[in-house]
Amino acid sequence: MIATFLITQLPILLLQGPSGVPGPAAPISPLFRIDRINALIIVLVFSAAVLLYTRWAKQGMKLFVRKIAGLDAVEEAVGRATEMGRPVLFVPGLQELDEIQTIAGISILGRVARITAQYETPLVVPVRYPLVLAASQEVVEQAYREAGKEDSYNKDTVQYVAGEQMAFAATVNGMMMRDRPAANIFMGAFFAEALLLAETGNAAGSIQIAGTAQPEQLPFFIAACDYTLMGEELYAASAYLSHEPLLLGGLKGQDMMKVLIVLAVIIGVVLVAFNVGGTYVSWFQVR
Amino acid sequence: MKRTVPLILAFISGIVMVIAFFCREGSLAENLSQEFLIWSSIIGGFSLLLGCASIVRVQWKHVSQQKSGWGFSVVTLAAVLISGLPGVFAVSWSPLFGRGTGSIYDWIFVYISTPMSGTMFGILAFYIASAAYRAFRARSAEATLLLITASLVMLWRIPMGEAFLGTISSHLVDFVNTYIMLGINLAVQRGIIIGAALGAASMSLRILLGIERTYMGRG
Amino acid sequence: MNIWQRMSSIDRHYVYLLVAATVIFPLIVPAHFPIGISPEARQLYEAVDSLPEGSVVLLTFDMYANNLAETEPIARAALYHLFRKNLKVVTVTTIPFGGPSIAERITRELAAKYHKTYGVDYVNLGYKPNYVSVLKGMGSSIESIYPTDNSSTPLAQLPLMQTVKNYADMKFIYVVADNGIVDYWISIVQAQYGIRVGCGVTSVMAPKLYAYVGSGQMTGLLGGMKGAAEYELLVGKEGLAVTGMGIQSLVHLLIIALIFIGNLGFFMEKRRAARAKS
Repeated sequence: MIATFLITQLPILLLQGPSGVPGPAAPISPLFRIDRINALIIVLVFSAAVLLYTRWAKQGMKLFVRKIAGLDAVEEAVGRATEMGRPVLFVPGLQELDEIQTIAGISILGRVARITAQYETPLVVPVRYPLVLAASQEVVEQAYREAGKEDSYNKDTVQYVAGEQMAFAATVNGMMMRDRPAANIFMGAFFAEALLLAETGNAAGSIQIAGTAQPEQLPFFIAACDYTLMGEELYAASAYLSHEPLLLGGLKGQDMMKVLIVLAVIIGVVLVAFNVGGTYVSWFQVR
Repeated sequence: MKRTVPLILAFISGIVMVIAFFCREGSLAENLSQEFLIWSSIIGGFSLLLGCASIVRVQWKHVSQQKSGWGFSVVTLAAVLISGLPGVFAVSWSPLFGRGTGSIYDWIFVYISTPMSGTMFGILAFYIASAAYRAFRARSAEATLLLITASLVMLWRIPMGEAFLGTISSHLVDFVNTYIMLGINLAVQRGIIIGAALGAASMSLRILLGIERTYMGRG
Repeated sequence: MNIWQRMSSIDRHYVYLLVAATVIFPLIVPAHFPIGISPEARQLYEAVDSLPEGSVVLLTFDMYANNLAETEPIARAALYHLFRKNLKVVTVTTIPFGGPSIAERITRELAAKYHKTYGVDYVNLGYKPNYVSVLKGMGSSIESIYPTDNSSTPLAQLPLMQTVKNYADMKFIYVVADNGIVDYWISIVQAQYGIRVGCGVTSVMAPKLYAYVGSGQMTGLLGGMKGAAEYELLVGKEGLAVTGMGIQSLVHLLIIALIFIGNLGFFMEKRRAARAKS
């Protein structure tokens, strides 16, 4: 009942203007941005693709996902750390909790924490923002609880180290050189400190797995890390590691959208090549 | 209840932000979205206390247990107190307090924090050299391509390199600019950006609808 | 360890020493090389140079203090160009840590040199939180976002701000940045208000932004110290960036030489091992 209300009544409520006139009964255009109708169509098509594949996955449809070497290496990296008796260092990026890359990083942290809990490997998670601290602590504690290792959970596993970018990098570098973690996992948004962290980790002799959706930092991670997840592979990690049909369905829906984009690009290239693409290109401009 | 309430909150706040994108200024959705942004700033402000508590607790533990490297923890605690406390005290007590020009906080930022940040940034030059030397080996066809492209772009970005490329062929500099930077690089960057954007949108939709819950600690 | 193995596994500390020596040497023996101008730098220069005298340009100081080595030369060259053309300058920043003080320092210094009056020829609006709201809000009313300037002077008391109410009163936006705020200037401001945006960014960010130049959403791009040096030459005011190009040139050549040595050692050792095996 709550879900029905949220889905049917909430959007109408939100489209009301200051006068309180409900949206559908009065002309929508004074409040609804007609110039963004193309964006609305794309959002609806995208949502339909994701939801359809999620539904089919729930109904038992087999979904193929290609191998992502970096994610397959996570368990191997933790195993290496356990054998060597050294900790695993996990950095969930340097952005705030409201950024999607940080949420993706924290999702992966939950999976990694479950593995380290099972193997009883020390885990160190330095964070840059207090909200990320709170969320990460909750995720790690839950992972230890689900692995039945609640007693081995240490509240100081997740630490707030510094709010400033280079101070954070300096602190984590110091941690790497003193504690010599066997595995470094960098998952989230990174900026100029990406190479500082990765190269120091390399000097410390750690196996390194990195994932980020910042295109300008990918070359540094590729040069300095053993495995790198590029862009969307970071967002696919949660689905890939859990193999949950619902999450894999979302992944396939996203792929379907990519196929549609490729088709749209090809059509656009052909039309523009023949000098008749003006209207078609304007359909994709979002104001 | 413990699982349902956070999911409902996530759905409502997410759907408001999405609908606000399609509404004009003055609509309820647009006003609500602005309120949510302000609320998140307020929550972020209060959460700083959490961060301070964490850093003081962890570093004090290192000092009290005299763990290896506890001297660094003493320095950290001193830095937190010295840089944080004067900024909190009222300017009316002394011009050294507060965060204005001439205060202790400002002095520490300008003369300690900024040069140290710049130094850390400068270390990148050394690290890029060692990373390039180690990583750019022609072990495979792809690695060789990476090596050649990187070398061409590094030469293209310096005047001496431009002159050197010009001696090989007068069109080589334009080739790097047109076909490598504005051609291959541009296409690849767009592909990565589109892929990452779709991934982010898909993850956002899954979070909105409660399909993805791993960020809450619930798989 | 034979010579080929040594060549392919030089200790990183020696690499650091070589880089340090290569950076210090041109400071003692300055090196100057002719600098070519890229089409993107020229596009930005010509876009600003073609503005009529008295036009208002929004100059952003969206950079952190630790990236000043690359972004400050760009900002200085841009400001010199704007003052030389007698364009009016309004500065803003979306970076709370140091952004406003960097803007104040550079604008006041250059304004004193070129006899520009604060409030008449240039205004520093400073920083306001929530950059999405700031960028959107300035489209309708700058005063609603910035009721006062960075020095807490009400905008009503600044003659320049009587003629600049929103983006419609500006002719160009010159973004100097070292972070992802550039994407928002393009997607929120350029796309929705149609005003031309040109950028000067760090060299790491430049490859990603070529996409915007290629699509016409960005009018010109300066990448890192090379871009700053190009712009300094175009405006005729050689400064930090042109001096720095000598150092950058030698370090790039060192890296290329190290890559060559590493690969030579790698291949020769591989060949020697294959021969020994056979």
